[in-house]
Order: sequence, then C-alpha cells, then structure tokens
Amino acid sequence: MQTAKSQTFKDKANKVMGISKEDALLTKSYIFVAFAALLLGGILGLIQGLNRAGLLELPSWLNYYQVLTAHGLILVVVLTAFFTIGYFYASLSHTLGGLLPKVRTMAWIGFGLKIVGFVLAVIPIIMGDASVMYTFYPPMAAAPMFYIGLALIVVGVWMCAFGAFIQVANWRRNNKGQHVPILAYFATGVFILLFFGSVPVAIEVIVMIIPWSFGWVETINVMVARTLFWAFGHTLVNIWYLTAVSAWYVVVPKIIGGKRWSDTLTRVVIIGLVVMNITGGFHHQIIDPGIAEAVKFMHVFMSLAIGFPSLMTAWAMFAVFEKTARKQGEKGLIGWYKKMPWGDVRFLAPMIAMIAFIPAGAGGIAQSTNQLDQVVHNTMWIVGHFHLTLGMSVVMTFFGISYWLVPYISNRVLTPQINKLGVIQTWIWTIGMIFMSGAMHWVGLLGSPRRTSFTTYGDNATALSWSPYLMCLAVGGTLLIIGVLLQVYAVVNMMFFAPKGETEFPIAEEEENASKTPYWTERWGLWIVVMLLVVAMAYVIPLTEFIVNAPPGSPPYKTW
Amino acid sequence: MKQFLYGLFILVFLALPPVANLMESVMIIHMHMQMPLLIITGFLFARLFQLRFPRFFEKWNRNGIPGIILFGVIVTYWTMPRSMDEALTTQGMEVFKFISLPILAGVPLRDSWKKLKPIVKNIVFYFFIFVFFGMGWLYIDSPVQLCNNYLIIEQITLGWGFITTAICMVIYLIYVAFVDPTKYE
Repeated sequence: MQTAKSQTFKDKANKVMGISKEDALLTKSYIFVAFAALLLGGILGLIQGLNRAGLLELPSWLNYYQVLTAHGLILVVVLTAFFTIGYFYASLSHTLGGLLPKVRTMAWIGFGLKIVGFVLAVIPIIMGDASVMYTFYPPMAAAPMFYIGLALIVVGVWMCAFGAFIQVANWRRNNKGQHVPILAYFATGVFILLFFGSVPVAIEVIVMIIPWSFGWVETINVMVARTLFWAFGHTLVNIWYLTAVSAWYVVVPKIIGGKRWSDTLTRVVIIGLVVMNITGGFHHQIIDPGIAEAVKFMHVFMSLAIGFPSLMTAWAMFAVFEKTARKQGEKGLIGWYKKMPWGDVRFLAPMIAMIAFIPAGAGGIAQSTNQLDQVVHNTMWIVGHFHLTLGMSVVMTFFGISYWLVPYISNRVLTPQINKLGVIQTWIWTIGMIFMSGAMHWVGLLGSPRRTSFTTYGDNATALSWSPYLMCLAVGGTLLIIGVLLQVYAVVNMMFFAPKGETEFPIAEEEENASKTPYWTERWGLWIVVMLLVVAMAYVIPLTEFIVNAPPGSPPYKTW
Repeated sequence: MKQFLYGLFILVFLALPPVANLMESVMIIHMHMQMPLLIITGFLFARLFQLRFPRFFEKWNRNGIPGIILFGVIVTYWTMPRSMDEALTTQGMEVFKFISLPILAGVPLRDSWKKLKPIVKNIVFYFFIFVFFGMGWLYIDSPVQLCNNYLIIEQITLGWGFITTAICMVIYLIYVAFVDPTKYE
C-alpha cells in the first residue's frame, strides 16, 4: 500500500515538474541523433533521386549503390530506431514515474553500442566496400566490418528492449492488478517486437554472414539468409508503424480535445500486431524460388491478417474524430472534419500521415497477394510503397510528435512561428511525397526496376518512356529536401533556442463510460508464446525445405 | 448459439473441397493447421452442448478427467502417419476426421479444461510435450516414407513442426513455473 501511495505522489510530482533532467537528456540525445540522421539521409536521398532521374552524374568516387546503401541504412535503421527508442523512453519516464537508474544506464549503453555499430558500418560504406544496399542480401558480400557494425546495433537495441521490460515489470510489481498505462503498453509491444524480430537477423548476420565474409566458410545458404532477413525486415517496418499508431491512439485525441475510444480495442490491436507480425515477412519472398505455390498461397492469409488490426485502427480513429466533433456541436455525416484543428501541426502532420496510410495499406495488401505481386515485384512500385508508408505515414507522425516532444524534454514551448513553419513543412512534405511516391508507383507499373541506377538500356523505347515519371520523382525529391531542412531547423530551434516554458505531454484520457478492459490483455507471457508458435508454424515449411534440400551455396560476390 | 454458428461456419468452410484439398496438399498444414482448426470448431460447439445437456457433462465428466483422456486419445490417434494417410484415401476416414476432432476432442477439451486441477493441467502439457518430441523424432529420423501421400521432405518438415511446437510448450511451462502472477496481479 505504501509503495502504491508513494507511486501516485511520484506520478503527481512528475506531472507538475515535468521530466527529470537525466531522463530528458537521454531522450534528447536519441532525438538529436534521429534528426541528424534525417538531415544526412535526406541529402543522400536527394543525390540518389537526381541521379536516378538521369539529372545528375555522380563523381567517379561515388557510386549509386553506395549512396543507396547509406541512404537506406541511415533512414531505415538510424532515424527510426533512435526516434522510436527516444520517444518510448520519454513515454516510459512520463507514465511510469521516471526511469529506474539501472534502466537509464542500460539505455545509455544501448546508445553507445548503436553509435559505435553505426560508425563501424558506415566506414566500409564510405570506403566503397559495402555497397550491398540496406537489405544486404547474400550472395553480395560487404567487408566484415559492415556486418559487425550491424550486429552491434542489434545488441544496442536489445539493451534498450530489456531496459524497457525491467521498467514495466517494476511498475507492475508496485501497482498490482492495474493495467499498464497505454503508452507504456505500446512501448512493451514495440520492444517485444524489436527483440524477437531482430533475433532472426542476428542469427543471419552473426552465425551465417560474418564467418562467410571473413572467408572462414566458403559458401552461404542464400535462401535461408533471405528468409531470416525478411523475418526481421518486415517486423521492423511494423515496429515503426506501431510507434506511429501509438501517437494516433493516444496523442491525437488529446490534441483535438477528445477522449480515447475503447481501451480494449487499442490493446487488442497491439497484441494482434505483435502476435501476427513476424510471419508477415514471408510475403517479401513471394517471387523467391524453392517455395511451393500452395505455401505461398497460405501465407497470403498470414499477411492479410496483419491488415486486420490496421482496419480496426482506422475504425477507432474515425470514431474518435466523429465523437469529438459531435460533442462540439457538429452535425452531419462527415461534418467532423470542420472541427479539427487543421492549423495545429501536432494534429495536421499525424492526420495526413493517417490519410496516407489508406493508399499505403491498400498497396501493401496488393503486394502481399501472390498474383498481384507478380506485376510489381522488384519494380519502382515497391520503392514508392515504402516511401508512402515509412516516408509519410510513419515519418510524418514522428514529425508531428517532435513538435511537442522536443519542447517537453527541453523545457521549452512550441511558438506560433514554429507551429506555422511546421504547417508549411507538412504541406511541402506532403506534396513532395505525392510527387515522388506517386511517380515511383506509376513508373513501377510501367516496368522500371528498383535497385538499378539510371540507364536507358541503349535508348530502348520502353525505358525512355519512364523519363517523365523519373522527372516527377526528382521534383518530389527536391521538395522533400526542403521539407527536411525545415524540419531539422524546427527541431534544433525547439531543442536549443525556443523560449523556456512548460509543455504538456499530451495523453488523452479514456471515455467516461468506457467498459472495463479485461485483464488478459496484460498477460504478455502468454501472447509471446502464441507469437512464437505462429512464427514456428509459418517458418518451419520454407526453412526445412531450404536446409534439407539446400543448394550448393554461394561464395561471396562483389558486384560493384 | 452464436458461438455454435461460428463453429459451424468454420467447419463448413474447412470442409469445402477446394479448401480441404489445399490444406491436405501440404502435410504439416494438414496436421498442424487443419486438425487444430477442427478442434477449435468443436471448442465453439461446446457451449451449446453444455447448455443443452448439462446433466450429461455433469454425470460423465464431473472432474474433467474423462474428457481430457478422450481428448488425448483422439489427438494422439490423429498424429499417427497411418491415420492421416487413410483420411486421404478412404472417404469414411475423412468424414470421421471431420466429426471426431470437433466432437470428441474439441468439445471435451473445453468442458474439461476449467475443471482440471493445475497439476493435471501440467500433466497434460507434459504428456503432449513427450508425444510431440517423440513424433517429431519419428518423422525427422525415419529413413523411409511413412505416408503414401507425402514425400520424405514433407515428413521432415512436419517433424520439425512437432519439435518447435513442443519447444513452445516448454517455454510456456517455464514461464508459468518461474513468473509468479501474484507479484503482478
């Protein structure tokens, strides 16, 4: 009882005093690295886009694939991982009454490991020894240092995941029988996925690729490596998505002046995404050889199953908008949109992110369907798809979060000027991404391949017909770099220069007449076992086939 | 009644020839997906039976032991290569599969599980871990085809499916043994 009381006092103190200095510094460091990565990755993206459109000749010491590898690694691994961890550690600190000292230490060790790993991975990329692209599939082989760097990043992420588990377990011991606060619950789901999702890629890199790239073993089983990679790759995608979703469910309702709708639904969505996620990776291999047609067909179910929680999310979000608007006196079928604070960047950015997820999710469903994927696999369509999902739905939500999170951890405020800048940035980003991603989707349908630098294939008519679309791509990319510059400026301003003051951590409350959330939602141990069972069932077929009927294996190749 | 209808819907869906053919075309999907789904349909049927025939369950399955033994017998029977082979070659066996797994395994499982003492529940887990490791070893290690209908590679896949499922059960038991829920709930 005593602990429960002191906990509530701590909670109250936390609300009044804001985040502790040590916890703020931790999140600040993570967020700073994330946005530094955005700047660097954005510039590389521009170079890559201009080159791909045939507008920019790269100097002889720089190679398209080298730029692609760096752009991918910096944005896909560094930006997202650092933002996700920084954001969720601030959430854990805020909702669970401050981080435990040992948890904070773990997060700092994780920070160090990731930075060291990142530097180790970047050196060979700069030297031109690791232009394997960010998916680093064998048989293309980079210098061993690249893989050692990646392995260290994974270990760093694990440190942070276990730190979060310790923090949540400690809170639960002190608050018996209570539900973990919703943002901490999201954090739990995300860190479970981060840990279990990165186990396959750790096996791939440490057990298979590193000995092979050193030359200790001669050949590698390419199909097994790809399978392990995508078990991780697809999960990673959904980790970012789940991070964005957490802000949609918890933060957006608060900003529009509403309440959270159905706590049970929210938690079921999280459990669903965690349990069904890892197996979704298989749809990235739908065109791969060595897998029976029937198995690929069965896997369509596994992939579409992930779409289901997303549809529940869409439902919940529109319910929140409508309920909030009706409380404010709005009538009519879709009149809610008039009551939304469109001039507030903290709402606008995540809202456009959500809207973007409608076509993005639909595209994803098309791609995970065997027959439809035959048309677009390995074309620019796929690149367009993940720029729409990651570049819009996820990253725009991150941007929206930054406009309150950065002032919150810096004890500063969001000024009207920066808000206005944010709104302009959001629209520039939106238009840029519509141009770029739209052009990528379309040119992909016309057959333009991905992972290929600019070529007209000896002035082949079909290849020449792609040029107008590639030009659109370059226009979009140029707008996006303006967006990047504005965003990075806003973050630096809010972190170091904005006026001092209190900023609230916006967490919406549950509705008054909400039904009680059942306690089984807290039994993560059970859900993890269910998840492992689903993973085992899904991967036992292809992996057994690839290992028992293994092809001779491949020596390392340097194709660049 | 709602649950019963859901169960019936799943059962009919699973029995549709294209669905049944697809699932039975891959050995591990036949055993580790179609059959558990059939048990789940029975699970959904059980509520209606419990409401309609309370005295029957009260009389024959008071402590849950008879029901769980019936469940164990039926499930173990369907893990055997021969039974699966016969389901594919003899129409009567296929019908028996679609009846026995829901009615004789799914229904008793639901009626029994809540009545069982924790120790008996654990014994059930031990039994199935033992059976699953055993069947896994059999299917992986057998040098010859055990089913006329499935190739050796499919057999090995099924074997690993058994082993991984057994490992999951072991993980669950370790979790139950080492995490004390009273500390948190």
